[in-house]
Amino acid sequence: MTDFVRAARPNDLGDVTAITGRSTGSIAFIAGGTDLIIAHENLPWPDLIIDITGIAELDFVDVTETAVQIGAATTMSTLDRHKGIRKSLPLLAQASAQVGSAQIRNRATIGGNIASAVPAGDLLPVLKCLEVRIEILRHDGRTEVLEFDDVVVGSGETSLGNGDLITGIVLPLKHGANRISAFAKIGMREVLTIARLNMAIAANYDQAANRVSDIRVVAGAVGPLPLRLPAVEAVFQGRVIDQSLADDFLNALVSEIDNAIPGRYSQSYKRRAIIGLGLDLLRDLFDREFSPALPLMEPV
Amino acid sequence: MLAKDFPQFRPVLPGTRDAAIAITLNVNDQDQVLYVTASDKLSRVLRRSLDLTGLKEGCLEGECGACTVLINDEPVNSCLVLAFQVQGKRILTIEGMEASEGRLSRLQQAFLDKGAVQCGFCTPGMVLSAQGLLNRNPHPDEAEIRHALAGNLCRCTGFQSIVEAIKSVAVQ
Repeated sequence: MTDFVRAARPNDLGDVTAITGRSTGSIAFIAGGTDLIIAHENLPWPDLIIDITGIAELDFVDVTETAVQIGAATTMSTLDRHKGIRKSLPLLAQASAQVGSAQIRNRATIGGNIASAVPAGDLLPVLKCLEVRIEILRHDGRTEVLEFDDVVVGSGETSLGNGDLITGIVLPLKHGANRISAFAKIGMREVLTIARLNMAIAANYDQAANRVSDIRVVAGAVGPLPLRLPAVEAVFQGRVIDQSLADDFLNALVSEIDNAIPGRYSQSYKRRAIIGLGLDLLRDLFDREFSPALPLMEPV
Repeated sequence: MLAKDFPQFRPVLPGTRDAAIAITLNVNDQDQVLYVTASDKLSRVLRRSLDLTGLKEGCLEGECGACTVLINDEPVNSCLVLAFQVQGKRILTIEGMEASEGRLSRLQQAFLDKGAVQCGFCTPGMVLSAQGLLNRNPHPDEAEIRHALAGNLCRCTGFQSIVEAIKSVAVQ
């Protein structure tokens, strides 16, 4: 413990390790600071604040035919505007575009969204849906690549130790050009809102057969962690995309809410709201309109 | 570990805590050297050390946008940035918006002409968010304008006159 807070602004990852390797006190890494500074409004800062926004090697987006790599200090604005991300990972661009306000998106980073591990974090269901791997620089200089579920482990909780830094994410583009994906979110107002529900879907779509395969559905803000929904995914098994499938899909979403938050005050709201979210996603994925399932019409 | 371990941050100001950090930055086209502590917020430093009181600390949590400034031409909430993070950056506040000494910029004049200023508390942030949008997109449509202003709250005007002001500049 020291009696005042120190700051460091390293220019490369070698400097980071030089600092974390020698430091004996508590460390906070800061990038956009949009969550961290609010969190410390009424909480003391750790002994050392390390700003990573001066590290050029953490601010990059690299999209190739086979993989996408993104530096941890890449902002939401950059992801939203990046042509390669918009083309290869539209749901990541969509989710980034819906985070906070223009001011927030100009600061908030993908690494920070993971490190904050907020249940309503908009990128979290997307990253889990995309099966990204997360690159870590340990405080002693070792590097590791971990699965999403091994990093984000609880509400506001990661597996990272003091002085460990998320340096980026990597994902292989193992699917072909017929991969479709979408992200949608519901909050209390249209913009600058914390998600009450969000969801990411990715699938291979055979347009001629009008069927999907290899589908992943991940919902956020329904529990401490982003939740994969296998029962919802199973609905698509061997079915053509039509209104009857949409009905079953929407009903499966309602069941998932009932299972995830039984008795919670928000259950009655979210089991209806998720139908609207599901309809938004279907429209986005298949470029056509579907009707709501019956539960939307039930009296509250 | 002491601040002197980090060569980019010399301890300065004899007699101050050794956590004091010297930062150099450019504010409204003037180079400045400021002495800050690790947890000082940019909004506080601009107001207190440089007397740039146009920006307001409204909510201190990124909701109201009254503290908006441009860092390297992009709008940010200066209450959610630590001052030491802006080392070497270019900052524009409302005080630096004038086209020339005593002459308002076109955007500022449009706010006056359209009656987009009432109590004025949100105005500096509104103008800078609008300027940030116009920097990237000189001819935004109404939807783009409203999207760009989503992070700035006004409780007087109902926003319509503000949108009109920005539109009048955008079409020119």
